[in-house]
Amino acid sequence: MIGVVVRGLSKSFGPVQALRGIDLVVEPGDFVVLLGPSGCGKSTLLNAIAGLDDIDAGSVQIGGVDVTQREPSERGIAMVFQSYALYPTMTVRRNLSFGLRVRSVPKTEIERRVAWVSELLQIGGLLDRKPSQLSGGQRQRVAIGRALVQQAKVFLLDEPLSNLDAKLRTEMRIELKRLHQSLGATIIYVTHDQIEAMTLATRIAVMRDGRIEQYAAPDVLYERPATLFVAGFVGSPGMNFLSGSLGRASTPVARIETDTIPLDSYPFRAAFAEGGEVVLGIRPEHVSLADPGARGSVIEAETLFIEPMGADTLVWFQYGSQRISARLSPQRARGLSGKVRLALDIDQISLFDPTTERRL
Amino acid sequence: MSALTAPARIGRFGLYAFLIATALFFAIPLLVVISTSLKSLDEIRDFSIFVPPSSPHFSAWWKAWHAACTGLDCGGVHVGFWNSVRILIPSVTLSVLAGALNGYALSHWKVRGADLILLALLLGAFIPYQVILYPLVKITSTIGIYSSLPGIIAVHILFGLPVMTLLFRNFYAGLPDQLVKAARVDGAGFWRIFASVMLPLSVNILIVATILQTTGIWNDYLLGLIFAGRENQPMTVQLNAIATTSTGEIEYNVNMAAALLTALPPLLLYFASGRFFVRGITAGAVKG
Repeated sequence: MIGVVVRGLSKSFGPVQALRGIDLVVEPGDFVVLLGPSGCGKSTLLNAIAGLDDIDAGSVQIGGVDVTQREPSERGIAMVFQSYALYPTMTVRRNLSFGLRVRSVPKTEIERRVAWVSELLQIGGLLDRKPSQLSGGQRQRVAIGRALVQQAKVFLLDEPLSNLDAKLRTEMRIELKRLHQSLGATIIYVTHDQIEAMTLATRIAVMRDGRIEQYAAPDVLYERPATLFVAGFVGSPGMNFLSGSLGRASTPVARIETDTIPLDSYPFRAAFAEGGEVVLGIRPEHVSLADPGARGSVIEAETLFIEPMGADTLVWFQYGSQRISARLSPQRARGLSGKVRLALDIDQISLFDPTTERRL
Repeated sequence: MSALTAPARIGRFGLYAFLIATALFFAIPLLVVISTSLKSLDEIRDFSIFVPPSSPHFSAWWKAWHAACTGLDCGGVHVGFWNSVRILIPSVTLSVLAGALNGYALSHWKVRGADLILLALLLGAFIPYQVILYPLVKITSTIGIYSSLPGIIAVHILFGLPVMTLLFRNFYAGLPDQLVKAARVDGAGFWRIFASVMLPLSVNILIVATILQTTGIWNDYLLGLIFAGRENQPMTVQLNAIATTSTGEIEYNVNMAAALLTALPPLLLYFASGRFFVRGITAGAVKG
């Protein structure tokens, strides 16, 4: 198996710097997701790895070989595009075999591989159709199949599921995960959908403004976001941010509104700066209704409105001048109103410096 | 349509009456030409041009095709017809292909100064022929193709290039970039992508371009007169010579028949290819 190493990659489009010195190591067999809002450079990075765009500086290694100067076809990669980019005038069979025919692969080998892929993706019945005669999901399968027949070691996928409807997307997500596990190939996958990223990835690189904000396993990203941006971008519904200041009673505390929240168990990364401003991040699922006599940090807030989401219900509260949401069971949320006591799970919080936006 | 009120019915009648009258008005010259070409000379002389032929016959057509005189040559317009065909086929084929290739390169590949080239082409499309005639005569005679078949073909390709390139560039710019990227990842190069992916997608635009060029080149008079040379005079030039030959009696019926014969090929082309203008072939090629 083969990994990908990107070093110091920069790229600008005129005055716009799309990538600012990207370093990324993709271990062999990893499923890496490049995640970020539109315009963050994630597709540009993928195109640079594929060799489809010229880069300004930096290098790309695939399988230990520097491929920076090589054509896309000489990099041992296969790619799936957002618009599928199937050749409209060719049948599915010819779409699948085009790359192999270009490379003059023997006919029997082409047939063998097309048969293998069409069985793997269950597109055997579609081989003689044109792309215009396929549904969105079928086109997606063919596009993936066209990448698979190449038997490349590295697969690059550029938002492959974003044109599918929600149900089909979930199905294809499972399919992709199954493919990754059965083929064991290295995959780099671009998406702006954080649920896709969380479910598929072995590691996620969250990007913003041409930089990688954090590159970590999904659970690390979710539980210990390195920056405010990552904390806010990953997770739905989003993390609550409460601003306040750091203080010291007998142990470190955060003073938010009129409450004092003990931080004695918080693993500070940075030096503790008393009196400094702080943003306390806590996910809605770590906010619960405080039972009478509950210990830990209890705050008092006013119920604002209730958003049922099926399995859970999101309840919004006014807490002093700030807002906070809690993810509660529908039974507990039903009929909530007025002043409510909320318990914050202090072991699950993240603290950020509001000026550097970095984790404390 | 079943429940029109009386005033609406009258309005509709008026509309159709107006349209038919207008159509007839514009059709009169053509009808006169057709009817005159089917008359004998005596009939033309003795009756009004609006009187239909008493006994229509095609002898004037036959004469126009086989025996009409231009100066001392009495070979009919069929000589010019075949000259026109010989000029038309290579000129159209090469200018359309060159336009397609240019358009593809300019829209999907990084060409240094592509914007400048495009601007130059746009300007080129607006420059009147007359301005460059003399320099072009000097250039073609310097490289030795003035007044020859290759000469007139080269000139037609040259003059066709701006419009053809712009036409194809705009068409290809509308095709998704990812198509070319996918083909590049699949290992195809510039030419392979052009031949295997782009050209098959271009059927409609190729037909449009072919029609444009065929009509333009077939109807051309000026360039044919200047660059083709006496041996390769196209049909239009010969038609003019027939009509202006002033020895003896003016054979109006033969002139009309020759004019109709000359105008016929582009007309037939329009009838044969109209339906391709409306067909969309890339529908469903990309997003669902």
